[in-house]
Parts: sequence; structure tokens; C-alpha cells
Amino acid sequence: MNRYLKYLTGKLKWYILTFFIAVFLNFFLPRFIPGNPVSALVAQMAGGGASSDVLDKLYNSYIQEFGLDKPWYTQFINYVLKVFHGDLGISFSLYPTKVNTILSHALPWTIALQAPAILIGWIIGNLLGALAAYKKGKFDSAFFPLALFINSIPYYCLAIILLYLFGVLLDVFPIGGGYSMQLIPSFSITFLIDALKHYLLPFFSLILVTIGGQAIGMREMSIYELNTDYVRYAKLLGISEKKITRYVFKNAMLPQITGLAISLGTMVGGALITEIVFSYPGIGTWLFNGIRQQDYPLIQGGTLVITMAVLLANFLIDIVYGIVDPRIRMAQMEE
Amino acid sequence: MGKLLTVKALKAYYKLRLGEKLRAVDGVSLTLQEGEVLGIAGESGCGKSTLASCLSGLFFPPLKYQKGNITLDGIDIIRTDKQTLRKSILGKKISFIPQSAMNALNPTLKIEDFVADVMQEHEPDLSREEAIKRAEERLEVLSLPKDVLKAYPFELSGGMKQRTIVVLSTLMNPEIVIADEPTSALDVSSQRQVIELMKRLLQMKITKSMIFITHELPILRHVADRIAIMYAGVFLEVGTMPQIIFDPRHPYTKVLMSSIIVPEKGMRERKLPLITGRPPDLRKRIKGCRFAKRCPYATDECRMREPDMEETDGRKIKCFHPLKGKEIKQNEVI
Repeated sequence: MNRYLKYLTGKLKWYILTFFIAVFLNFFLPRFIPGNPVSALVAQMAGGGASSDVLDKLYNSYIQEFGLDKPWYTQFINYVLKVFHGDLGISFSLYPTKVNTILSHALPWTIALQAPAILIGWIIGNLLGALAAYKKGKFDSAFFPLALFINSIPYYCLAIILLYLFGVLLDVFPIGGGYSMQLIPSFSITFLIDALKHYLLPFFSLILVTIGGQAIGMREMSIYELNTDYVRYAKLLGISEKKITRYVFKNAMLPQITGLAISLGTMVGGALITEIVFSYPGIGTWLFNGIRQQDYPLIQGGTLVITMAVLLANFLIDIVYGIVDPRIRMAQMEE
Repeated sequence: MGKLLTVKALKAYYKLRLGEKLRAVDGVSLTLQEGEVLGIAGESGCGKSTLASCLSGLFFPPLKYQKGNITLDGIDIIRTDKQTLRKSILGKKISFIPQSAMNALNPTLKIEDFVADVMQEHEPDLSREEAIKRAEERLEVLSLPKDVLKAYPFELSGGMKQRTIVVLSTLMNPEIVIADEPTSALDVSSQRQVIELMKRLLQMKITKSMIFITHELPILRHVADRIAIMYAGVFLEVGTMPQIIFDPRHPYTKVLMSSIIVPEKGMRERKLPLITGRPPDLRKRIKGCRFAKRCPYATDECRMREPDMEETDGRKIKCFHPLKGKEIKQNEVI
């Protein structure tokens, strides 16, 4: 186990390096977007009625306030120092709201939308996939094309189709938002029911795609495992179908665990477009707003949160996989 | 010594796409006495592994049973229901050592867990600890290291893995072991160890009889009491080990024997006789003797009619013109 820890600390170095590169890119990439965020902001605020003198003053005070008058390296150092104090700065577009506040309000929505969709979709998808491989015949020939079809539709297209069908044509679900505008978020029954109504459409658009994708992967893996030599040998020694199914299921499951961890890791930024389609108040929608308004701190903050989630998930995969699969553990320790 | 296993006119085929049938086992009869080792030899593709697989009564798709009987200790294997077959026959009365030891074990299961699974399947009252203890004792008796039980299959070398499989297959003291090319994938020294291990199992009466399938005739010389030569889905000659190895009578046995490289004096200079041509296509019905096309002694009769299996001096032969003793000329290329 000691060697295993050594292996993990070795891995950790790479994650830290990746994190620094990501921080670096997070800072520079938004600044490559053509245009000036402050002039857009000033124009929006003044509404066109103010004199150019007032506009200039407003402009300069914003530039100073945001620190955009300083050279880029000073800005970068300030940004990095702040990041390590857990401060993501102040949003341009929602001045003077802190980015921390915006993201901490958005994050629960994103997680509440995606985590159940991914987890439940993953479980159902894997069960159905294994069942299709095991049952073969009619069940498989009906299920497999369906899963393939659902999986082939881009998830945002499915989102738009569901939105149009159930939101517009049938009008059974609201077409956007996380809750009705006239309600104030609270844990009252009225609010929860309202939030659930807004939740179902984006949730189904995500879970269907997850089920389709996972089921296809699991079906392929199970078919492969069912035809291996060890299954045949176990049958020749009289081992029951039940036990053999357990062997096969576990071994077919191993690559799927990676899939789950990656989905969970990319979750925060994963369904960006789903959130935009449904105007769901999660990270995706805010990031989208940030990009449109060149809100550097907001973009930086959003991408930083996504980066950290992906890195954390990958690190967890390394740990979990080593525990579950003895072959990987062996290889890991030999590195 | 009684008959343990009787196979009568067994036929089985692979169902190919487009409904074609590949008749891999096309009328095989054999008997196995208690305490006997029967070797089955032949070129690859002759149906010997398929025959081995048929003996389990499971017929893994696309293999299909067509005709014939398999009787093990008075039990009709083919007509026994799968549950009984699995619980009280497979692994217990008849056991198998598979061809591909490399992948025959579940890669994510420790050997000891597999041991427990196998033994508890046949003795439901047995505890896991008891099962592992019995396996340890067995390894000790066979002077193999006990710690293989704690290992995962990928942690064992090829030779060790195959020996472990030999032990696993015989944990339940099966009356018959069917070994399907158990040494084919191994280097020479590992081959020897596996053969020694199997011989020891027989000596210690852990298993009574064995069917040993191989394409390497020299191995049979060390283990087999009787040898059957298989070709294109049928046996062409069956006899005692000395009869087949030192005095082959069927032209095919003769060529098969002489195509073996033996590192003896004077052998290096000698050119090995080649068997020209290919075995017949088993998807088509074969007219006449199956070996006729490649046989230098074939006559019109051979090409028209299939010879019957006939027995003389305890040797069965399926040929119209068997060779007479040492008649064939040396260096003759056929």
C-alpha cells in the first residue's frame, strides 16, 4: 500500500502542474476576445443620454476599479494571488456583485440538475446494456437500435425537441428558468413543486442521452466478456450462470466506472448548452452570459470551477480504479 | 477395469452463417477404460478440440449436436438436463483442462475465490475457508507453492498458470479429465512440468482416466496408453501407444509420424517427408475415404467408398489398403 501512496503523490504533482497551466489560460484566453468590456458596460449604463464627459469619467473609474489600467503582468499576479485566497474578483457585468457569490448560487442548480441525471442514467443504462447483452434475441434487437438512436442525437437537440414538444406544443412544462419569476427561492412546498416542474424537462433531456450512451458501452463490453475463455472454462467446471453473470458484470463494469467519473467531473461545464436552452440558472448559463459581456472575472471564475472539478474527478478515478481493478493497481505500482 | 466413458457415432457441427454446416465431428466412437489415458492426435482443424468440447454435453453455440451418444458411468450426458449436468457431473465426474490457459481465469478474481466458487458449487455446505484449506492441501501434496491461491491470474507465469488450472480442474477428484492441448502454448520446460503434474495426478489416483488431446505426437509417447488419430472429423486409426508410434498402419498415421522432427543422429541431414495438399473442406460432404486425395496409395475404390473401421489385434483402422508393418520405404516423399 505504501508504493500505492507513492504512486498517488507522484500523480498529484501532475495535477498541480495542470492546475497552474489552467489558471494561466483562464486568465489570458478571455482577454483575447476582441472588444472592450468596459465600454460596453458604460454604454449600457448610460443608456445613450449622458454627455461624453460623464461617459469618460465613468469609463475611467471603471477601468481603475477593475484594475485594467495596470500592465497585464500586474493584473495576472493580482489575479493569481486573489485566486489563492479564494477570491475570484468582482463581476464586470453585475458590478458590484462578487463572482464568488454568483458562482456559489449557480453551482447548486448545476449539480442538482446533473448529478442525479448522470448517476441514475448511468445505473439504468448499465443495467439495460448488460441485460441486452445477456438476453440477446428480441429484447436486444428492439433495445439496441433505440439506444443507438437516442445516443446519436446531440443532447442539446434532444433538449430543444423536448422543449418544443412539452413546453410549447403540449404546454405541460414551463419553457425556461429554474423556478417561476414571481417566487422567491425557499424550501416551501409551493416553491419546491414549482422548481420540480422546471426541473423535469432538462433532467429528461440529460438522462435519456446518458442512458443511451451507457447502455451501448455496457452492451458491447458485456458481449465481449460473455465470449471470453474464462466464461467457458467456468461453465465447464459447472459454475452456475448466476456466478458467471457476476464475473462478467464486474469485468464489463470496469471501463464504465471511468465513464461515470469523467461525466461527473465534466458535469459542471458538461451540459452548458442544456442550461442555456432551458435558461437554467446554473454555471453554464452564467458562463454564457459572462462570455457575451466579456466579463473576465466571471469567465475566469466559471472556467476555474470547471477545471477544478475535472481535475478532482480524474484524481478520484485514479484512486478508485486502482482499488477496483487489481491489474491496474499492479501497473500503477510498477510505474 | 470397467468402461468409464463410451461415445457412439457422435456427430456435431458448427452452424455457420448462411445456414452452412461445418461437420467438425462426423461420426466418432470411442471407449475409455478406468485408469486409462487416451491420446487423440491430429492436425489443427481436424475436430479434436470440438470433440473434447462435445464431451461436456454443453455444446456452446455455434456448435450443435446432431447424432450419437455419450455415456459416462451409465449416465447419458446428452439427454441429462443442464442443471443436473452442471451440479453433479461437470467438474465433478468429468473435468476439463482448456486449450488457452492464458485467458481461462477471470482476471479480476483471486485464485482462492475461484477455488471457493468451484467447490461450493458442488458441495454447497462447504465453507469458503474449508474449500481454500482443501485446495492448499492439494497443492502441498502436489508440491506446488500454496501462495498461488492468494494471487490474481495475471500475477502468475504461463507455466504456473497452466499448472494451477490443472489443479483447479481436478479439485473435485473427477473420474475423467479431458485435457485439450494443455501444453501447446508453453515452452519446453513448462510443458514437461505440466505433463509431470498430470502423470502424478493419475498415479495418486486423484483422477482415474484422461483424454489427452494434442497435435504433438511425441508428448503422447510419454503419457498415453492408447492413441486415436483423428482426421477431418473422424478417427482413422486407434491403437495402443506402441502400435501407433512405432508401427503405424494407416498411411495418414505413417506420414503424421514421419513429419515429426526428432533430434536424433542422422536426422538433420534427412529431409522430412511432407504431406502434400490440405485436409478436405468440412462444409462439404466427402465422398470416399477422407484421406484419399492426399494418400499415395489411394485407389479408385478409396475415392468411391468410405472404408469401415475394422479391428485386428486390438487395433482399429479405417483403410482399404493398410500398410504391412515396416513396408514403407524410407525417404519416400509422399
